[in-house]
Amino acid sequence: MIDQLSPSPDSKEYNFYFGPAHAGSGNFGVKLIIEGEKVVRARSDPGYLHRGFEKLMEYRMPLQNAVLSDRICILESLNWNLIHAEAVDELMNIEVPERARYIRVIMAELSRIQSHIIWFGVFSKATGFDTGFKVAFGYRDYILDLFEMITGGRVYPAGYICPGGVRRDLPENAPDRIRKVLNKMDEMIDLEQLENSTLHSRTKGIGVLKLEDAIRLGATGPVIRGSGMRTDVRKDDPYEVYDRFDFDVPVRKEGDAYARYQIGIEELRESVKIIKQALKDLPDGDAIAPEFKKPRLNAKIPEGEVYIRNEISRGEAGMYMVSDGGTNPYRVKIRGPSFLHMIPVLEYLFKGVQIADVPAIYWSLNICPADLDR
Amino acid sequence: MASKVESILKKIDSRFDVEVKVKRDNEAWLSIDNENLIDICGSLKDKGFVHLSAISVVDWIKEGKYEVIYHLWSYKDKMLLNLKTKIDREKPAIDSVIPIWDSNAQIHEREMHELFGLKFRGNPDLAPLFLEDWNGPPTFRKDFDWRKYVRENYYDKNNEREAAYYD
Repeated sequence: MIDQLSPSPDSKEYNFYFGPAHAGSGNFGVKLIIEGEKVVRARSDPGYLHRGFEKLMEYRMPLQNAVLSDRICILESLNWNLIHAEAVDELMNIEVPERARYIRVIMAELSRIQSHIIWFGVFSKATGFDTGFKVAFGYRDYILDLFEMITGGRVYPAGYICPGGVRRDLPENAPDRIRKVLNKMDEMIDLEQLENSTLHSRTKGIGVLKLEDAIRLGATGPVIRGSGMRTDVRKDDPYEVYDRFDFDVPVRKEGDAYARYQIGIEELRESVKIIKQALKDLPDGDAIAPEFKKPRLNAKIPEGEVYIRNEISRGEAGMYMVSDGGTNPYRVKIRGPSFLHMIPVLEYLFKGVQIADVPAIYWSLNICPADLDR
Repeated sequence: MASKVESILKKIDSRFDVEVKVKRDNEAWLSIDNENLIDICGSLKDKGFVHLSAISVVDWIKEGKYEVIYHLWSYKDKMLLNLKTKIDREKPAIDSVIPIWDSNAQIHEREMHELFGLKFRGNPDLAPLFLEDWNGPPTFRKDFDWRKYVRENYYDKNNEREAAYYD
């Protein structure tokens, strides 16, 4: 097993590094063993973003951890906020007000949209379509503007979704502005539908993941849906108020890079649908539970343990939180979807492909080194 | 009427010594003896728990135990099962569940080996994931105080900026 790292001496194999200091890979490295133009085997090399959140959270109170949870994944900080808040809510038995639950869903879906937009951006770049990259990042800014208006931060909301609800209510003009931005998203999806022969030849039939392999390797989210499994935590095990909305779970059978990309596009439309419904039904009332209106710094977390699962744009995210009755959690375990997608799935898919296909496969998995390393 | 989760658990109950706590209609927490781990995991997988969501470890230092938790999900029954088992803190070794969940289990075990120093019998590849050139103790153990470790190994008491970190 360890020998995977080096080429065998009596062959024509050699080492080829994809990342970690490569603009096309993020803070993550893959060591490829190459023979000619073909990848013989691959070995993921994580650790460049390991910040030890699980340990850091043991030293801090939930109020501080809410802010810390932003940073688990840079690209979808609000979703990680939500997971942390749900874990604390369940441990402390907090009744979250209806309005807060709707706002949480709206924010989580907006965050999913901007995360998927980044995915198209980097995927376009990986397949040689630079305009797509610029279109995507340009349109993402509309959503960042919304985040700035609602949470105060463009990328990091600083614990906007906090235990008990959300830190502050939506501004009065927010629903109208969100609707306007959603219209822009429809416009962008049309621009991103880059059905041309270049995209097809670079993604169709590339990086095929069969369903039984997807299950065996622990794939979730768009990756397993691209291989033909209809599963989505929002549908199967609804959290917050997702069971009240009407939306579809897009599925494709092919399991290649193109199928995963198409699922991303369709999921954008579904997210837009969810936000429109949530804005329509948005109830009045408080946005945070009464006991959290004033920050309670030394509130004890009752003894217990929870495992929370959420569907974030990359797949299934989880948080296991244990409390021994103190003010800080005793142990926090974070399960990031990219942990499975970037190590077992990636190593499996890279076996036997051409070097030129490496970026397309890599980015078709919608990965984020930050939630792998934590 | 017995809930869905109870009817599934009944089949396992009869054969092994299992402590069950049903939390919601589709969520249960099981405490088992680590000797039965492989048998129980095998029968759970046959019942549809094909997705191993995560493996967590909790360091119960006062009790002198590590608790290993397997978070399982059944796509078929849409059910979450958390399987807990305790092992001795002095001899932290447990059977690997690779025969059951394959590569998915392998990578989770490799992570837990690095962060807690647990040995997984039968796992062929427990190379470090995150920490490069790390020779200290496993970092997530409760008796590893990283603040103290940094002070002792990296900081200088006579350095003006770093002196603030000493009492």
